[in-house]
Amino acid sequence: MLKTAQKLIAVAKISARANLAYPGEVLGRGTFLLVVLYIFLKLWQATYSESGQSKLAGLSLAEMLWYLTITESMWMSAPKLAQQVDEDVRTGSLAVKLIRPLSYPLYCLSANMGERLVRFSFNLALGACIALALVGPIHLRAEALLMLALSVCLAFLLDGLGHLIVGLSAFWLEDTSGLYLIYTRLTMILGGMLIPLDLFPGWLKNLVVYLPFPYLVWGPVHLLSTPQAELAASFLELAIRQLACLVALSALVALLWQRALRRVSAHGG
Amino acid sequence: MSLLSYLRLAAAYIKLNWRMQMEYKSAFASQFLAMVLNNSTWLAFWLIFFDRFPVVRGFGQADVVTLWAIASAGFGLSAACCFNLHNLAALIARGQLDTWMLYPRALVPHLALGKLSPTAMGDLAFGYGAYLLLVKPDLEHFLMYVFLTVAVAVLFTGFNLMRGSLAFFLGQAEVLSEQWFFSMITFSTYPSSLFDGWVKLVLFTLIPAGFVAGLPPEALKQLNWNMALLTGLGALAVLGFGSLCFALGLRSYQSGNLMEMRN
Amino acid sequence: MFAVHTEDLRKEFTLKKGLFERRTAVAVDNISLTVKEGQAVAFIGPNGAGKSTTIKMLTGILKPSSGKAQVLGLDPWRQRSRLVRQIGAVFGQRSQLWLHLPPKDSFELLAEIYSLDKKSKQYKSRLEMLIERFELAAFLNTPVRKLSLGERMRAEIAASLLHRPRLLLLDEPTIGIDVVARQRLRELLAQWNREEGLTVFLTSHDTGDIEAVADRVILINHGRVIIDDTIDGVRHYGAPKSADTGEPPDMQSLPALEKVLSDLFTAK
Repeated sequence: MLKTAQKLIAVAKISARANLAYPGEVLGRGTFLLVVLYIFLKLWQATYSESGQSKLAGLSLAEMLWYLTITESMWMSAPKLAQQVDEDVRTGSLAVKLIRPLSYPLYCLSANMGERLVRFSFNLALGACIALALVGPIHLRAEALLMLALSVCLAFLLDGLGHLIVGLSAFWLEDTSGLYLIYTRLTMILGGMLIPLDLFPGWLKNLVVYLPFPYLVWGPVHLLSTPQAELAASFLELAIRQLACLVALSALVALLWQRALRRVSAHGG
Repeated sequence: MSLLSYLRLAAAYIKLNWRMQMEYKSAFASQFLAMVLNNSTWLAFWLIFFDRFPVVRGFGQADVVTLWAIASAGFGLSAACCFNLHNLAALIARGQLDTWMLYPRALVPHLALGKLSPTAMGDLAFGYGAYLLLVKPDLEHFLMYVFLTVAVAVLFTGFNLMRGSLAFFLGQAEVLSEQWFFSMITFSTYPSSLFDGWVKLVLFTLIPAGFVAGLPPEALKQLNWNMALLTGLGALAVLGFGSLCFALGLRSYQSGNLMEMRN
Repeated sequence: MFAVHTEDLRKEFTLKKGLFERRTAVAVDNISLTVKEGQAVAFIGPNGAGKSTTIKMLTGILKPSSGKAQVLGLDPWRQRSRLVRQIGAVFGQRSQLWLHLPPKDSFELLAEIYSLDKKSKQYKSRLEMLIERFELAAFLNTPVRKLSLGERMRAEIAASLLHRPRLLLLDEPTIGIDVVARQRLRELLAQWNREEGLTVFLTSHDTGDIEAVADRVILINHGRVIIDDTIDGVRHYGAPKSADTGEPPDMQSLPALEKVLSDLFTAK
């Protein structure tokens, strides 16, 4: 247990160093967040004042900006797992990686998770500074933060599975970049990254709760603004939905992987 | 004679670029569709947004579709025809202007024509498609739209010259140039009426997105040719300034030697 | 008339380190040289000696810091556009051929760039001659990426001769090319120099290239001219010691230069 923790810390350290190694890139991400959040602030400022309401979808203006800060940080932290799997499949380096004692999909998922958590923390820290400067702090509850952290981990795991599905489809598709784009854009729009689900037209909201996308982004971040009385129940419901998605997506990955392995052994990678 | 010869040169480049893209048809198609899909995502966001809040700062669904149609078609036209200018900072930093200076042609137009981008063609097609299908303009609106997309393309071309020329003065300016571009693109896709004060000033100078997301949608809404003309003038001013930056920078061009000499 | 004439040609670069620290480096240190039209000159020296910088000044890419340069009677920096109509350039790694398209397409584009009339007799005969002499017919319609390096370079040189330049500049044209193809390229260049009166200005690290193509050698180091002499003259520098150096046979005919080169290169 201790050893695993040490390994994780080592991985995190390396990732963090890699994240800070290029000041240009840090500057780039900072500018990106600053511009995007400033524009969002202006857009929602106008929207709040013209609708004459102090709360929209249960969020005050400051809370809305913090919501968008977190979703943007999550979005920006996604490593290029799908492209990497695609490349492994195409170049045949998958066959080499099969020799490793750890199963390939599990290896991908864990590496993805480690890298993503570090990148996310980093982006969030940067975003939080900007949000603080723009709208100041909001009231946060310790238990809601803890629940957010747990469900964000699950969300990242789900997204990792999504990436794996896209990447592994390289066994059957000539080009996965189209599928990748569809997947990420659906996450962006149906996941509620740009606009909370509660502001969707009714029919759309009723539809998307049956899809995995809201649980990748909106679900976890939404917990921060859930009233105290409903918090535990909401978290539980989210966890159940995320786990259901986890089971379904894992089954799909397992199926694809099994088929893929058969192809690898038949064609030798 | 001169203009004609450049038109012929443009035709020759378009022909070659097209043939090259056709060598890789499926990659071309997927890049093209990717851009259409990407822009559609943003349009979907705005449709959802305006479904809930019909008017914000005088903007509604139709206006935002118009805005995206102008921004993406204008940007697409510029990048489709002048893709080399898009990566100008990198070309300068790596001394890759050399090749272009060995030809008896005006450097900027020749360099600009040298490369077409298939993703940009996706942007261009998306813009025109969105405008024709979703806004359904009458003839005069459509004519103004065409004029505005050309003006915005000129603006982006000038802007690319401006940000790319940074590399002449700073050497490594790729990150800065990219951030500048990113800010321009982002501000170009949100209604300029959201901003005021000094930011508004910035949007008509340093980050001239006001000539994309401010004046043009308003001009089309009111069918105001004066505003459209003003957009055109702004675009020409930016092109002029960008060309000036490039001409001044070229004097201190150090080719690729900077790298060699460090060893 | 002189093809190339320079007087105290100099280029300094300002190196920027951070925002304020600046350092000046001299790349070309007052070079004066004259090349008559029709000559074939090997312009040699170790890496960083100032070869590329000089060539870039001669083609108008770089502005000289001081001194005078005249190429084919023109000032390269001020009259670049007129000058480049009359010169051809083959710069090692930078191809003017389109990798994914056949050489034929690139030739057509070049005709357009140089405003050549593709329907004229003159153009057609030129193209035919190039195709024949450089033996391009077999792969004229094959995408360049599928050609061997030797074939590519032949197409490359032919492309740079399409507009009938009077001066051809070549920067390491034979690098990476196999022995047989390399021999063929040297013959072609020497032939054009002899028969068409083309002035050739060549940089190379390959003594075989130099001997086969050039009749004059200019060696520079640290931005200064060290040796400027005929091939024969250079051969008699120092005592010939080739027998004990054990160099490949094709270099033995130029022993002294090899010695001078190796001395200079190691003394760096």
